[in-house]
Amino acid sequence: MATSQEHIIRLEIPSEIQLIYVLDAVVSEILREMEFDDEAVEQANLAVIEAGTNAILHGNSSDPNKRVYFQFLVGEDKLTVIVKDEGEGFNPDLVPNPLDLENLLSTSGRGIFLMRTFMDEVNYSENGTKVQMVKYKFNENK
Amino acid sequence: MDVSIRERDGVTIFDIQGRIIGSDSLELKSVIDDHIASKAEGEVKILLNLARVPMMDSSGLGVVVAAYTSVQRKKGRIALLNLGRSTRQLIVMAKLMTIFETYDNEDEAVASFQ
Repeated sequence: MATSQEHIIRLEIPSEIQLIYVLDAVVSEILREMEFDDEAVEQANLAVIEAGTNAILHGNSSDPNKRVYFQFLVGEDKLTVIVKDEGEGFNPDLVPNPLDLENLLSTSGRGIFLMRTFMDEVNYSENGTKVQMVKYKFNENK
Repeated sequence: MDVSIRERDGVTIFDIQGRIIGSDSLELKSVIDDHIASKAEGEVKILLNLARVPMMDSSGLGVVVAAYTSVQRKKGRIALLNLGRSTRQLIVMAKLMTIFETYDNEDEAVASFQ
């Protein structure tokens, strides 16, 4: 839910991986307009791309009839990103840890890990079909 | 993303330019796979030049990991050249720095294959 200090930007795309470039462009522009530093821009941009890719490929199984909905809540000191897909959902707690030795050479499965690494808050809801992420402009722990 | 391929002293250098995100990964994987398939066992020597890759997502990293395992199976070698801040951070976060050979200098990288 947006506060009175936030404004909302919405983006809706069909489940086509080629459209990640649209998401990339939108997120990059929002982050730069908010004057995040370069490293934070790269980190948050990557996290949103990962969330979008997961929604397209895994959530919606690349079904072009299903859509992915993005909301960007632009605040004074933070960006909140909400990504919602139209898939069956999943349990994010059951995703294997990509840092476990047996998974280090896996060719996939790092998306959620990177989202959690590069954003300050990541919370799944609605059976895993919705993820809300927050990046603060000033966070001494990141 | 664009990929150009050149040979230097028996080493195949993939000069990659642009972000590796989304569908780029499939394209890059196809180019690398085709090259590996064209080489005999023990003859694969690959240098991935990432100097002009400002960002790579997890699917791009997955392509690099897949290339590494394919090259290993073919008893060849693969190394990464000129990691930028973002790609280096990604590889460090994924705990892959100890697995991949990395170089910051092309001459040294090519010489290491001899």
